[in-house]
Amino acid sequence: MFKPGKGDIMLHSVILSYITFFYFLSFLFYLLMMVMEKKAFGQIATIITLTGLAGHTFALIVRWVESYRLDIGHAPLSNLYESLIFFSWTIILLYLLMERRIKNRTVGTFVTPLAFLALAYASFSDNVSSEIRPLIPALQSNWLTAHVITCFFGYAAFALSFGISLMYLLKKSHMANIKTGFFNLLPGAGTLDELNYNMVIIGFLMLTLGIITGSVWANAAWGSYWSWDPKETWSLITWLVYATMLHARMVRGWKGKRLASLSIIGFACVLFTYFGVNFLAGLHSYAV
Amino acid sequence: MVKKTSKPLWDFLSSVRLTVVLLILVAITSIFGTIIPQEQVTATRFARDLSPGLLNLFNSLQLFDMYHSVWFRSIICLLALNLIVCSLDRFPATLKLFRLTPKPDRSKPFEGMPPHRVLTIEGGLKETTDNVGDFLKERYNTMVIKKTDKETYFHCEKGRFTIFGVYLVHLSVLIILMGGIIGSLLGFNGYVNILEGESTDTVFLREGMSYNDKDLGFGIHCENFSIDFYDNGMPKEYRSDLKFIMEGKTVKEAILLVNHPIKFKGITFYQASYGSLAGDKALLKISNAEIDMHDFTLEVELGKPVPLPGNGARLILADISDDFMNMGPAVKISIMPEGREEISFWLFKYQYNIKKQYPGIFDNFPKLNPSSYKPYTFYVDDIETVYYSGLQVNKNPGIPLVYTGFFTIIVGLFVTFLTSHRRIWVHITGKPGNISVKVAGKASKNQVGMEKELDRLVTSLDSCLNPGREI
Repeated sequence: MFKPGKGDIMLHSVILSYITFFYFLSFLFYLLMMVMEKKAFGQIATIITLTGLAGHTFALIVRWVESYRLDIGHAPLSNLYESLIFFSWTIILLYLLMERRIKNRTVGTFVTPLAFLALAYASFSDNVSSEIRPLIPALQSNWLTAHVITCFFGYAAFALSFGISLMYLLKKSHMANIKTGFFNLLPGAGTLDELNYNMVIIGFLMLTLGIITGSVWANAAWGSYWSWDPKETWSLITWLVYATMLHARMVRGWKGKRLASLSIIGFACVLFTYFGVNFLAGLHSYAV
Repeated sequence: MVKKTSKPLWDFLSSVRLTVVLLILVAITSIFGTIIPQEQVTATRFARDLSPGLLNLFNSLQLFDMYHSVWFRSIICLLALNLIVCSLDRFPATLKLFRLTPKPDRSKPFEGMPPHRVLTIEGGLKETTDNVGDFLKERYNTMVIKKTDKETYFHCEKGRFTIFGVYLVHLSVLIILMGGIIGSLLGFNGYVNILEGESTDTVFLREGMSYNDKDLGFGIHCENFSIDFYDNGMPKEYRSDLKFIMEGKTVKEAILLVNHPIKFKGITFYQASYGSLAGDKALLKISNAEIDMHDFTLEVELGKPVPLPGNGARLILADISDDFMNMGPAVKISIMPEGREEISFWLFKYQYNIKKQYPGIFDNFPKLNPSSYKPYTFYVDDIETVYYSGLQVNKNPGIPLVYTGFFTIIVGLFVTFLTSHRRIWVHITGKPGNISVKVAGKASKNQVGMEKELDRLVTSLDSCLNPGREI
């Protein structure tokens, strides 16, 4: 039987508050690796991040199972708390996959703080309730899972692109000319640019899928596949910013600083679509 | 590329610079609509705080319904036109490129190739050439060979179609826009509230700021509306039991739930909202202070007198209020004793709470006193509520087109970004016993992946041509 208990501290939320600390620790080690120019710190950071991801995955599963035990079973993707912990999870997962591929750990310094912040906000903010709540009728749909997963993998790819853009701009700024060790381990500007472009492509594909699944779902739930609701509109704005970026790159050959700046603007739109829209009234109000 | 300067309008419409400007313009203008309220009620409230000049400006720019405004639609139309002209402008060249017969005997691809992509074979030239040919034929569908006595060039490729991905994406955007136009021209968005147990055959259409009736041509009967709650009070299910009626006969019965619309005669019904009204019945609980007996209940209907048991008086339910004096639901009863004057008073549903909150209220105001007719005391056990189900009623013939566009845009994006045109050249030359086989390749994107493919290809080609050799 489901009993709403405000004081209930559940296992998964305890685990997640530890994971928050783990991600902060991995950020410190990635940073240490860059400052000290010692790759060993990077290896430690990767191990911590991997352990964090394993614990994080376990916590997601525990929460999922717990919801079934409460007789209101649903995937943990239904409110702000659940989306934040999932967002953090997708960032780390995507980052580790990328790290394996490019064999360079410096991106971790710029990306793990994002995962840490998302999880810290979920775990420690009073505005975010970690209570497992049942699904209201509008959310009882298989499209919910498809919509949230695609959107957040898109957001995570854009988050990575944001981190890489920062790295690119740092590398290109005159700060890099100062002889500090900090920048020595960074990949070359060309590699960063290419990596950034690839992340935007993944993000764009996922965001497109996210908008489409949301649209098909909206048509089943509200009878309209597009209602110009603020969240819908902001997701379109985000889509347009990245579409602009892809056109500029593919046809007009934009690269480097201009592309990195566009990616930062794009990520600002992502954040506004995710958080900012909650200040504007609309159909997505249950995501608060 | 030679610019066609004789057609300035065409050049303008086919430029990607215009595309970028329009995309940014749509993005920026869309922001207005998320800040300025777009719904009638909120927009009216917002408009009240604007100065008259500003209000005029907002109105003339249609900022309260900006996504349907002339200027916003014009930007979208221009974007669509840009898309069409761009595609028409570039497609012939793309098609030519697609149909181009590749030249296998090129030396450029082999320039600067790493030494491990050259294999040295001890066999004969013809034998090696045949083996390489068979090997490549197994892996690639399209192969062009250029053969002379001394040397042979092979050219293989896959993924040539990838250049069409972009066109498919752009076509999909047009298909989706077309679906939107068809939907708004030939479809409608309506709504209707139906009380439980009642029927209707008309719905109301929202058309801008005005409302119109629309006859559906059949009847909808709402048999029952129910809400199911979770234990914590959150809503679990909204459900309407509907009947569709044609010429007096029920032709379809269906259960309407949120997320599970019902289609009937090309019109789709959605469970959109609900509400309740006080009905015309109430259940009273009555106690008698003189006779120490159990309380009894009495069902009363608005305006229909009933005898008060154990007494010659008659009781009539005179009024029902959802919220009387801001103290919750209440009913007004009148009692008509034999030969005496009629007594009327209100009974609150939450009598006990009100008495606790305002001590003495019932003694001071006889019109609110449940014990006004002694020796009886009256309580409201229940007031009948009648639910109405709020249905969204839509017809949108554009949907199949829009969904087709959704499907093709996904396919198009995958083709554009995740497939690449990979070309491979193999050059065989040399004397018997010392044959050199060179492998080179080029990809339209993801050159890193191409290099990996080449490495794999060279390794398996090596073991194919030198089967006995120990590695």
